Amino acid sequence: MKGRHEILVKDARVQYKFAIERNITILRGDSATGKTTLIEMIGAFQRNGDQSGVALKADKPCVVLYEQNWELVLGTIHDSIVFIDEGSPFISSHDFARAIRGSDNYYVIATRHSLYDLPYSIKEIYGIRNTTRKRYQGTKRLYAEFFPLIDYETGSSRNPDLVVVEDTNAGYEFFQHYFARFHIRCISAQGKSKIIKALIEEEYNTALVIADGAAFGPVIERLLGLRQVKDFSIFLPESFEWLVMRSDVLNDNEIRTILDAPSEHIASETYFSWEQFFTEMLIDRSRGTYLAYVKNRLNKTT
Amino acid sequence: MLNIYFGNMPEAIYDTASYFNHTYLDSWAEDKLTKAILKDIDKAEVLGPQAVKSKALGVIPMTKISGGAKTLLLIDHMPEKVFNASTSGDNCAKWILKIADLHKEDITINLHHLMNFDPERKGKSFEFRIVNTGTIVHNMKEYVLAALPLLGEENSG
Repeated sequence: MKGRHEILVKDARVQYKFAIERNITILRGDSATGKTTLIEMIGAFQRNGDQSGVALKADKPCVVLYEQNWELVLGTIHDSIVFIDEGSPFISSHDFARAIRGSDNYYVIATRHSLYDLPYSIKEIYGIRNTTRKRYQGTKRLYAEFFPLIDYETGSSRNPDLVVVEDTNAGYEFFQHYFARFHIRCISAQGKSKIIKALIEEEYNTALVIADGAAFGPVIERLLGLRQVKDFSIFLPESFEWLVMRSDVLNDNEIRTILDAPSEHIASETYFSWEQFFTEMLIDRSRGTYLAYVKNRLNKTT
Repeated sequence: MLNIYFGNMPEAIYDTASYFNHTYLDSWAEDKLTKAILKDIDKAEVLGPQAVKSKALGVIPMTKISGGAKTLLLIDHMPEKVFNASTSGDNCAKWILKIADLHKEDITINLHHLMNFDPERKGKSFEFRIVNTGTIVHNMKEYVLAALPLLGEENSG
């Protein structure tokens, strides 16, 4: 599946309107905001259609996946938006990650767990909020929408004396060269899961963290937690390759068009995360030119 | 005292909503604390042992209250058991501390995420034990630095 999909679910008391545009969306936030109610309404529509009393409008089928026999059931679901409520331990399993890699479905998962096997974006972690305004007074219905939960400030305005980069290869080389100009130490954390450890163990007054936002969802909550007690800024572009293409160094109209609406071009069955797509695209678009990109070594021209 | 175990804990009850639906007793609705939790978290008034009136959903049975409120009521009424409190949002954190304060015996919960215990306490100190390491923490700094290493990929379920 690719593209952005708008979904409207309503009954007599509540209406949800939201859009999904990547293969994995996470729902979390405070209790009693309506996550379970939304998924129960979709489940009711799935069982009885219009006769459920729930109205559901979407350009793809919406289904709920439950704990029981999830693997068997999932094997029968295609080209659909799959909702999973919290309290389902299988979502943290390697088996689940294997099952949805290469899938043509999109997934909306209600959980506060960090799902380390799933490369979800910091931009696809949502809460649900009530948007009922005065214009709806007199009706009994409550109107709700998704809102991005990770609305982080870049952070400290002080100059960093340490830069921690998620990348190990070309991305790390690039930032290492760049910050050397300012005599700022730059280290590779050797992967996103080790950034927290580096920030706890390294010595610094102010640090800067640079990581790939497209797959940083499992780490972002802990990183923001750590920022309550440590001083560091955060820079999370989609990926290093996205940053290179966004800089327009390749001067390519098609790249500009794709970057303006990536979801229209990235099929979930081919790319588990958008960062894989951006890497492949940069390699492909720069091949045979003096700007040719390879992931494991920085092109000195860049 | 409140005890928190971070990460995968096989003996903890994971699907707290389902567990609540099958273990809830009518007597729980008579408690002042139950009424206060439902008023604060669900914006709901207890009408009787089997029904509440929610601002958002109207009159609903107890089995339809929020997942966070269900977990809080389980922690309060079954202190001998360990529940997955990651089914509760940060708006439930102050209630977990309050329930632990009200009980003479130790309360243990299981967390899979960094619950934020501070916002509504505005820097006020708290005290709980992190079971994995035996560390007792008193403020957000001690809590965050002690809990974060336990919530890494290697400790996930």
